[in-house]
Amino acid sequence: MSDHFSGPRSLTDPAADISDVFAFPDPKDPRHLVVVMDVFGKSGPSAVFSDAVIYRFRIRSIDIAATGREAAFAAGKSEVIFDCTFDVPSGPATAGRPVQLGRCLTPSGGMISFVCDDENGGAGEGVQVFAGQRSDPFFLDVRMIEKTAATGKLSFKPKGSDTLFGTNILAIVLKIEWPMVLEGGPLFAIVCETLAAGKRPVRIERVGRPEIKNVTLSWKMFDQVNKDLEIRDLYNSEDAFDVKHDYFDAYRVRMNANLAFYDGLDGKIDWPFDKHANHPLTKLLLADFLVVDASKPFAEISYFEIERAMLAGRPHTTPGGRWLNEDIMDYVFTLYVNGGNGPPVNDGVDGPIAFSSKTFPYLAPRNVPKGAAA
Amino acid sequence: MTDLSETFAPEFRLEPLVLTGGSIAVLNLQAQIEGLEGCDSLAEAASLIDLLMLQGLILGRISNYERAAQLADRLVDVAATDSVAYVTRGRTRSVFHRFTEALDDLDQAERLSPDDGAAKQERATVLLALGRYDEALLTYGNAADRTGRFQDVAALAGFWAERGETVTAERLYLQSLGSYRGISPFPIALLDFQLGVMWMRLERLDQARTCFETAIHRVPAYAAAQGHLAEVEAALGEPEAAIARLNPLAISADDPDYAAQLARILGEMGRNDECLGWRRLAASRYDALIKDHPAAFADHAAEFWLGAGDDPQRALRLAELNLRIRKTPRAHELLAQALEATDGRGT
Repeated sequence: MSDHFSGPRSLTDPAADISDVFAFPDPKDPRHLVVVMDVFGKSGPSAVFSDAVIYRFRIRSIDIAATGREAAFAAGKSEVIFDCTFDVPSGPATAGRPVQLGRCLTPSGGMISFVCDDENGGAGEGVQVFAGQRSDPFFLDVRMIEKTAATGKLSFKPKGSDTLFGTNILAIVLKIEWPMVLEGGPLFAIVCETLAAGKRPVRIERVGRPEIKNVTLSWKMFDQVNKDLEIRDLYNSEDAFDVKHDYFDAYRVRMNANLAFYDGLDGKIDWPFDKHANHPLTKLLLADFLVVDASKPFAEISYFEIERAMLAGRPHTTPGGRWLNEDIMDYVFTLYVNGGNGPPVNDGVDGPIAFSSKTFPYLAPRNVPKGAAA
Repeated sequence: MTDLSETFAPEFRLEPLVLTGGSIAVLNLQAQIEGLEGCDSLAEAASLIDLLMLQGLILGRISNYERAAQLADRLVDVAATDSVAYVTRGRTRSVFHRFTEALDDLDQAERLSPDDGAAKQERATVLLALGRYDEALLTYGNAADRTGRFQDVAALAGFWAERGETVTAERLYLQSLGSYRGISPFPIALLDFQLGVMWMRLERLDQARTCFETAIHRVPAYAAAQGHLAEVEAALGEPEAAIARLNPLAISADDPDYAAQLARILGEMGRNDECLGWRRLAASRYDALIKDHPAAFADHAAEFWLGAGDDPQRALRLAELNLRIRKTPRAHELLAQALEATDGRGT
C-alpha cells in the first residue's frame, strides 16, 4: 500500500509560516527597540526552525507624509536588515527539545551566534538575540470571527474560547540599541519576512500589521471584482515597501469591500468612503508594516495610535508598534466596526494562557504538554 | 544539495531546490501533529488526518493510517454536511484499498459541493489504483493543463510513472521541480520515489537507485525509499548493504515489508537461521494485517507468501482477492505468478 499516494499536498513548511510580528520600546530601557517574529503556530515540542529559511527583519526610517483624510507614510529608501538562520539540530534533545544553533547577521555584517531556547540568547554590536519555543502571546476566538463573517452579525460571546489557548510558537526576539544600530528614526517601519535561502532568496511570507491577511483580506464574498481570488499568496509575494502597481488595485478593492462589511456590522456607517471611493483606513493598512516611535516610552496599549493620530491631525502620544500583551482582536474589531464612535467590541477573550513579561526575552516560557509535565 | 535533475542532460538541469533538511522536516511534521491533537475545527481535524497519513507514508507506520481512518470516521459523524469530511474519509479508505467505499464518500462530497476540486483529484487517485486509467488521466490532465501548479503537474507525473511511460513521466517530473515554490522536502521526495518505482518495475536498476538515493537525501527517514533502495542493492549484488539498510527498518516499522525483504535476502544468501526469525515476524504481521485490512495488504502479503513466506496456496488466495479488488495489469501479473507457483492448481 505504501506505493500509492494521491499527489503532494503538504507543500508548505510550518516553520516558514509567520504568525505575528511585534515591535515596542524595551519597557525598562528606552534606548532599546524590541522586534519579535513568531512562526509555526500551534507547534508541538519537537518544532525547530528550518535550515532552508532566512528569517528576515527589515527596518526603515519613516516619516509622516500627510495627515487628515489623506494620511500617509513616506518610508525611506535605505533600510537595515537582520537575517537569522539556523542549523540542522545536533546532539541529544534537552528538556524534550532538539538542540539547535542559530545566528543573526547584523546590518554591519557582524554575526551573533546563539543556542535556541537559551533565554540569554546571543549578543553583540548593540543587539541581543533570542530564538526558541515560547507560549503564543496571541489570543482570539477564530470560530466567532468566522461566524461573524458568515452571518453578517457580530457573534462574539461574553466569554469566548481562545483558539490558541495553551499553544506554542517559535519566536525570534531582537533587542536593538536603536540609536547605535539603526539608521534615522525615531519613527521606524518594521516588516518581517521568511525567504527560501539560496542564490536568489525568494520571499515566502511577509507580515507587518496584525490581521491584515486573515481578518481583513481573506473574505472573498464581499469583493465584487475578484470574488474567486485567493489573494493572500499574491499579497505575500509583494515587497511591503514597494507593492506592485499592477496588483495594488486588487488589494485595495478587496480591503475596501471587507472594511465596509465590518463597518456595517453595528448598523451604522462610521467610515464613509472618500472621494476616491476608498475606505479611510485602506491606504494606511495597505502600508503593511508596523510603525513604531522608538523615542516614546513603552505603552501597554499603543497599536495604530500613531495612525489614528495622523487621521485626526494631532501628534501621536504613544510609541505605536505593537506590545505582546495587547488585545489586538478587540482593538481591530472596535476600529473596523465603529472607529471608536461606539462601545468597544469585545471578542470575549481577554488574554493568553500566560502574559508576556517586561524582561528579555519577554514572551512567556513554552507550555509543556500535560503528558510531558507528568 | 543533490538534485535528481543533475542526472539529466545539461539542457534539462534545474537550479538545485532549496528545501528544509529532511531531519528537520520530520521533527516538524511530528510537531505539527502534536500541535493539532485535540483541535476541534473541521479544517484542523482534516489537516491532522492528512499529516498523520503523510507521517505514516514517510516513516512506514501503518498505525498512523489506522488512526487517521478512525479520526476520519469521527469527522464524518460530526460534520455530515461538509464535503471536506467526506473527501478526507475517502482518502483514508483509498489508502486501505477500500475503493468502493472511497468512491461513495467522494460521490457524497461532490453532491454536497459540486465544484470540489479535492474530491475530483482524490477520485482520480482511486481510479488510477483501480486501473481505470483513461478516467484518471482526464482529471489529472485537465488539472495540470488548467493550473500548471506543482501539485497538479506532479500528480500527472505520478500517473505516467505508474503507467511506465518514462519519457513523459520524466518530462513532467522536471516540469514539477521547476514549478515548485515550497520548501518542504516531502512532496519532492515522494515524487523521486514514484520515479524510482517506475524504473524498478522496468528493471532499470541504476536509474531506480539514483531516484531512491535522491529521495533519501531529501528525507533520510523515508522508509519506503530506504526499503526499495535495499531491494535494488540486493538485486545489484550488494546484499550486505541491503541488509544493513533493512535491519533498523524491520525493527522500527510496523509495516512487515521490511522484515519480508530481509528474510528473502538472508534466505538467498543461505543465512537460514537469521532468515527464519524475520520470516516468522513478517508472517505473523501479515496475518494480523490481512485480518484487519484484507484489501490493503492482499498484494504485498501475496508477494511475501510467494517468496520468503513459501506458501504458494496462500499467495494464490490473496492474489485472487487482490484481482477482485482491482483489475490492474500488476494484479493480473501477481495472479499469474501465484498460479504458476501452484502449478495452476487454483484454490
